[in-house]
Amino acid sequence: MNFRTKTFLFDVLSYVFLGFGAIVVVYPLVWMVEASFKQGAEFYVSPWGLPQRLVLENYRFAWQRGELLLGFFNSITVTCTSVVFICILAFLASYAFARMEFPGREIIYYSFLLSMIIPAQIQILPLFVILKNLNAINRLSGLIIAHTSGGIAFSIFLLRAFLSAIPKELEEAAYIEGCSRYKVLTTIILPLSKPGLSTVIIFQGMGVWNDFFTSLILANAPKVRTLPLRIYFFMTQYVIDWSYVFATLTIVALPVIVLYLILQTQFISGLTAGALKG
Amino acid sequence: MKVTATKKREWLIAYTLILPAFLVYLIFRIYPVFYGFFLSLQDWDGFSAMRFIGFGNYREAFNDKIFLLSLGHNVIYAIFTVIGKNILGFILALFLTRKTIKLMPLWRTIFFIPVVVSTVAFGIIWSWLLNASFGLVNEMLRAIGLSVLARSWLSDPKVVLLTLIMVDIAKWTGYHTVIYIAGLQSLPSELFEAAYIDGARSFQVVRFITLPLLLPIIGINILTSLIGGFSVFDLVFILTGGGPLHASEVIMTRMYSVAFQFHRVGYGTAMTFIMFIVVFILSVIQLRLTQRRSYEF
Repeated sequence: MNFRTKTFLFDVLSYVFLGFGAIVVVYPLVWMVEASFKQGAEFYVSPWGLPQRLVLENYRFAWQRGELLLGFFNSITVTCTSVVFICILAFLASYAFARMEFPGREIIYYSFLLSMIIPAQIQILPLFVILKNLNAINRLSGLIIAHTSGGIAFSIFLLRAFLSAIPKELEEAAYIEGCSRYKVLTTIILPLSKPGLSTVIIFQGMGVWNDFFTSLILANAPKVRTLPLRIYFFMTQYVIDWSYVFATLTIVALPVIVLYLILQTQFISGLTAGALKG
Repeated sequence: MKVTATKKREWLIAYTLILPAFLVYLIFRIYPVFYGFFLSLQDWDGFSAMRFIGFGNYREAFNDKIFLLSLGHNVIYAIFTVIGKNILGFILALFLTRKTIKLMPLWRTIFFIPVVVSTVAFGIIWSWLLNASFGLVNEMLRAIGLSVLARSWLSDPKVVLLTLIMVDIAKWTGYHTVIYIAGLQSLPSELFEAAYIDGARSFQVVRFITLPLLLPIIGINILTSLIGGFSVFDLVFILTGGGPLHASEVIMTRMYSVAFQFHRVGYGTAMTFIMFIVVFILSVIQLRLTQRRSYEF
C-alpha cells in the first residue's frame, strides 16, 4: 500500500470518526429546538420527527411559568457583579505581584495559589453556615460573595502571568515623561491587559453563568433562582409537558451557544487557559 | 540595609493594592476550609448546639455502607471517565491536527459546543435521549436490530452508573481535545519528518514520539478529569439524583442529602474532607508518574 492510498484511508477514517462525533454533539441541540415547537400530544406521538406546525405557545408558557425574566435578571446580576469584582480585585493585586518589589511578595502570591489545590466542594457547607450567620443565604449578595471569593485566586494566577509579559520599558518611558503611577496603570497597563482580562471574564463569566451546585446550596428560594436552577425546578415541576421544558432550555441555552459561535476563539482559549498556562 | 522612605511608600502602595483581594480570599475562601474541618469534628444539625465528637464522623463514614458505596462509585466513575475522555480526546486531537482534513475550524467549533452548554441543559436533553420508552438511543438500537441492548438507561441499577459516565464523557471530551490539540501543535514538526524519513509507521510515531513528548499535557488532562470524576455532582443530581436505590450515588450527592435532608452538617463536611484527601493522594501519585521525565527542544 503506497503512501497516497494510506493517507486517503486515514482521511476516510478521520471523516467517519469526526462525523459520528459531530452528530452525537450537535443533533441533541437541534432536536432540543425542534421539540420546543411541538404540541404536547405531538411530542409523544412523534418525538423525533419535524414539528407539523410551529407552536409558539410553548415559549409563552415557558417564559411566564418558568419566570425566566426574573431568572435572566438574577443570572445577569450575579454574573456581571461577580465578574466585575473579580476583575478589579485581581487586576490590582496582579499588578502589585507582577511589577512591584515588597517584602513577602512570593509568600503572599503562593498563599493565593494554595486554594487552587483545594476543591471548592469542601468549602460549600462551612460557607453556607458563614453566609447564614451573615443573613446572606437565599440572597443574590451571598451568591456574589461566593463566586467572587472563589474566582480571585485563579484570576490572579492568569493576570499576573499576563502582566509580567508586558515589556517594562513602556512604563519606564512613561515615568521619565513624568506620568504618575495611577496614570501609567490606567493609560498603559490597563489597555495592554485587555486580552488577559477578557480571558478572565470568559472563564469566570461562564463558570458563574452555568453554575448549578453553588447556587443550589446557597440560593434556591424561588425569588433568587438563577437560570440553571430555574430550568431544573421547571423540569421537576412540568416533567410530563416536555415541549415546555425544551422551550425553556432553548431560551436559556441558545444565547450562550450563539455567543460562543461569534466569539469562539476567545471562548476556547479562555476556557482552557488554566490547563495550558499551568 | 537602610530602607528609604520612597521604598517604604512603594511597599505601602503594593500592600494596599493586594489587601482587598486578600481579605475577600482569606475570609470566604480559606477560612471556610479551616472552619469546615472544625465542623467535621462536630455532631451538629445546623440549628442546636454543637457537640464535639473528635473523629467520630470520619469513623462513622468508614462504617457507613451508603457512603462506602458512593466512594466506590466515584472510583469507578473517575477511572472510566478519565480513560474515556483522554483516549477519545487524544484520538480526536490527532484527527483534528491532520493537515489533509477539510473544514478544520468548523470541526473544532463543533466539538467544543458541549463544554459551553450548561450542565443542567445538557443533562436534561440527555435524560430525554436516554428515556426508556421514547428515547432516541433506544429507538436507534431497535432500528438497527439491536433491541436486545435497549434499556431503561437511567433507572436500571445495573447500567445507570455507566450511562452517567457516558454522558459525562460526551460533555467534557471537547475540553480535553482542545488541550491535546494545543499540545500536539507545540511539538516540533522536524521530529516527525525525521521519523517518517527513517521509515517509521504512523502507529510507531504516535507510540514512541508523540505520546512520550505529550506526557506533561497528558498529565494535566488526567489530573483535571480525575478531580472532575471525584467531585461530580451536577450531572448525577440532574439525571438520577443518585438513584435508583443509591445505584448511582456519589459522595457529593450523598453529602447533599446528608446535610440538607437529614440535617447532619458535621457528617456532610467530613465526607467532603475524605473526598479531598483521596483526590489529593491520587493527584500526587499521578503527578509523580507523568512529570518524571521532561523534554527540551
